[in-house]
Amino acid sequence: MNNTKNPLLKKKNGLLAGGTQNLVIILAAVVLFAVFYLINPGFASKGNLLTMTKALVPYAILSLGVTFVIATGGIDLSIGTVCFGSAVLAGALCKTGVSVDEGTLWLTIPIILVTGLIFGLINGFLVAKCKIAPFIATLGSMLFSRGLTAVVAEAVRETSSAIKYPSTGWFQKIFTNYNGFPIGIVWVIVLTAICMVVMYKTKIGRYILAIGSNEEAARLSGINTDKYKIIAYVICGIFASLAALFYVAANPSLNLAAGNGMELDAVAGVYIGGTSTTGGSATIIGTILGSMILVIIRQGLNLAMSGGVGISATNITFAVTGIIVVGAVMLDVLKKKNANKVKIETPKTPANK
Amino acid sequence: MGETILKMQGIEKHFSGVHALKSVNFDLRAGEVHALMGENGAGKSTLIKVLCGIHKKDGGTIEYLGKEVSFHNIGESQDAGISVIHQELNMMNHLTVAQNMFIGREFMKNGLIDDKAMEAEAQRQFDKMGVKINPAAKLGDLTVGKQQMVEITKAISRDCKLLVLDEPTAALTLPEVEELFKIMNELRDKGIGMIYISHRMDEINRISDRVTVMRDGEYVGTVNTAEVTKDDIVKMMVGRVIMGEQKTCSTCPADADVILEVKHLNAGKEVKDVSFQLRRGEILGFAGLMGAGRTEVARALYGADRRQTGEIYINGKKTKIKTPEQAVKNGICYLSEDRKRYGLMLDKSVTDNSAIASVDDFIQGGLINDKKMRNMSAEANAKLRTKTPSMEQLLKNLSGGNQQKVIIARWLMKNSDIFIFDEPTRGIDVGAKSEIYTLMDELVKQGKSIIMISSELPEVLRMSDRIIVMCEGRKTGELDISEATQENIMQLATMREEN
Repeated sequence: MNNTKNPLLKKKNGLLAGGTQNLVIILAAVVLFAVFYLINPGFASKGNLLTMTKALVPYAILSLGVTFVIATGGIDLSIGTVCFGSAVLAGALCKTGVSVDEGTLWLTIPIILVTGLIFGLINGFLVAKCKIAPFIATLGSMLFSRGLTAVVAEAVRETSSAIKYPSTGWFQKIFTNYNGFPIGIVWVIVLTAICMVVMYKTKIGRYILAIGSNEEAARLSGINTDKYKIIAYVICGIFASLAALFYVAANPSLNLAAGNGMELDAVAGVYIGGTSTTGGSATIIGTILGSMILVIIRQGLNLAMSGGVGISATNITFAVTGIIVVGAVMLDVLKKKNANKVKIETPKTPANK
Repeated sequence: MGETILKMQGIEKHFSGVHALKSVNFDLRAGEVHALMGENGAGKSTLIKVLCGIHKKDGGTIEYLGKEVSFHNIGESQDAGISVIHQELNMMNHLTVAQNMFIGREFMKNGLIDDKAMEAEAQRQFDKMGVKINPAAKLGDLTVGKQQMVEITKAISRDCKLLVLDEPTAALTLPEVEELFKIMNELRDKGIGMIYISHRMDEINRISDRVTVMRDGEYVGTVNTAEVTKDDIVKMMVGRVIMGEQKTCSTCPADADVILEVKHLNAGKEVKDVSFQLRRGEILGFAGLMGAGRTEVARALYGADRRQTGEIYINGKKTKIKTPEQAVKNGICYLSEDRKRYGLMLDKSVTDNSAIASVDDFIQGGLINDKKMRNMSAEANAKLRTKTPSMEQLLKNLSGGNQQKVIIARWLMKNSDIFIFDEPTRGIDVGAKSEIYTLMDELVKQGKSIIMISSELPEVLRMSDRIIVMCEGRKTGELDISEATQENIMQLATMREEN
């Protein structure tokens, strides 16, 4: 049969799956933006926009990475502590005196990235080969990475104050502030593009989505499902440590207690973005939009509460984030329910005569 | 036969542009088995769903026990005495039989659930039905046949007056089918009206009093089963005659190359020392009762489960197959009996499902060429006459037969040589069945080889060139098609080991 006349070849879908969902999120972001602007016009000031852009960077990168794991139907709870822990570890190993100085700073980059890679491998191995449920496996490595990096840091550091990275210099120029320009956002755009290509146009992404859709079917189709699950966790781990670079560039003084809960914000961003909670379909753009929503809410509430209301903006932010995550997933569930109602029983095509 | 208990008239139903039911009539009398037939998509399930309140009807009337009714949900219809036994059983495998039977209406004692009393009541019900099931057993430990008995008993214990059986025999062995029919006859004597949905003609002839046929959402007609032949019914269903006669002799030349040889395959308790050969262009049938170990042979050969011992030779060369990945690389493919679980990605498109095994072929410069992938998938599906509105259609929206074709397309695109079909036509309607048979015949004509596992003897006899019969994990016989009959296959299939 000639391809051009094949009745099966009709309409075509674009690369950006989930277009309407993205529009909804963009609309929500605009509405939120407007509301916060009305409450406090300072919200739209240049300074505040810069702050939000900077805050977005590490979260967006964490979310991008974990999107791959969620697409397999898994979850990675260790990204927050791996992100933070890898920075603490590298800082402790490379410091001279109290802080990391210019001479050894470059060395922290490979240490951070390798730490992320190793934790990704560990998570992938536990989930794919040991068949441990992703929630449990990564809960374990979350606690383990938090504990281990702190212990190593303590042992090496000998003092009890925070680990300090240089607060100005080439590190900032590359990762957060290039002569006043929030360079991190460029990285986010580049990484987003890379993730889209990997997710939608390479074998890795295709197989990851296949695993999330039906792992047994993928395996019986001849796909080495264990391998691709491990790859998903490794991508996630490396992105967690990448996020660490941007985090320390913007927050050079690391306190051991920070970083807790970062993973939940990142995962929340992915769900708000519309990636399926059970895997199989993922939207990279949605993930970025989802993290944007979270940053807008966090910063917006911060400003709105700054008038001396007497309530902590951080706590309100937790509560609101919780509502939004559940709401976003509920919308997704409702959408699926409606989609299932419209059942096409026997599509009519002239294919059979 | 008793009075009319159900009268559905002029039932209409639309789904966003699809006219699913067009003025359908159906009636049922007490103590009658009324078969409802039609190809997949003919509207049978939709009609049942309208009856029991899952779908709201757009027009027409339903009269039940002399009153006009309109149920809003399945709970209302259940309370009114209408029970549906679904094709795929919806029960909780981790709970006991009794807990399943009384789910939602547990017996209570001092505010706690009284399992003992529920088990006793379940036992009483089973005794009444004459079935032997332990009420305290975990439901998941029972065979599919027994699980179905539990569901039927559950329905009866709810004082059901109208029982809908949606393809109840699809997963049953022959003795289980016999037991089901025995029970159905007893229910008939008790005056329970039954709507029986099945694709199996032999069963319709045996068990039903009347047959109503639907086609494309339309009511075709109702006939008394005794007055018509199989072919009449099939004609009503599809508007054409299809009948599978037994193959008289093998169409595979005796000197064809042996493409696959399996020696002393052992896998756990399920497969014991099975050896066989497969020739190029041959259909090798695997017959046997459920649990005979046929699927396990296929899965062991495919590397899907850990295979303990055994040797596999492909084209005379000893080949190591420990994973499906290795099997696929060596040209073997496996089409599972349970397509939803082991074959399909239901929420992915026809293209994705067709091309998933051959993604490697579409990679250019590290990236997937989606256009090429889509074109090749469309080509493969067009050859197989897959009915789908577009290549973007999600697999869950296709009928069983078309889903099966998409999986065949998957392996054609991978250019596999050895096709293992496990129950190739399970859950597939008559019209699509014969298409699948034709496709299989075409495959062997192209020099592919097929291992076909089937529990339907007419299918085994119609398709196979050679038949291997298994019982309890052992190969109990090998028959050339020219000497095979239903009788000698059944004899071999029940040849249990004495000890």
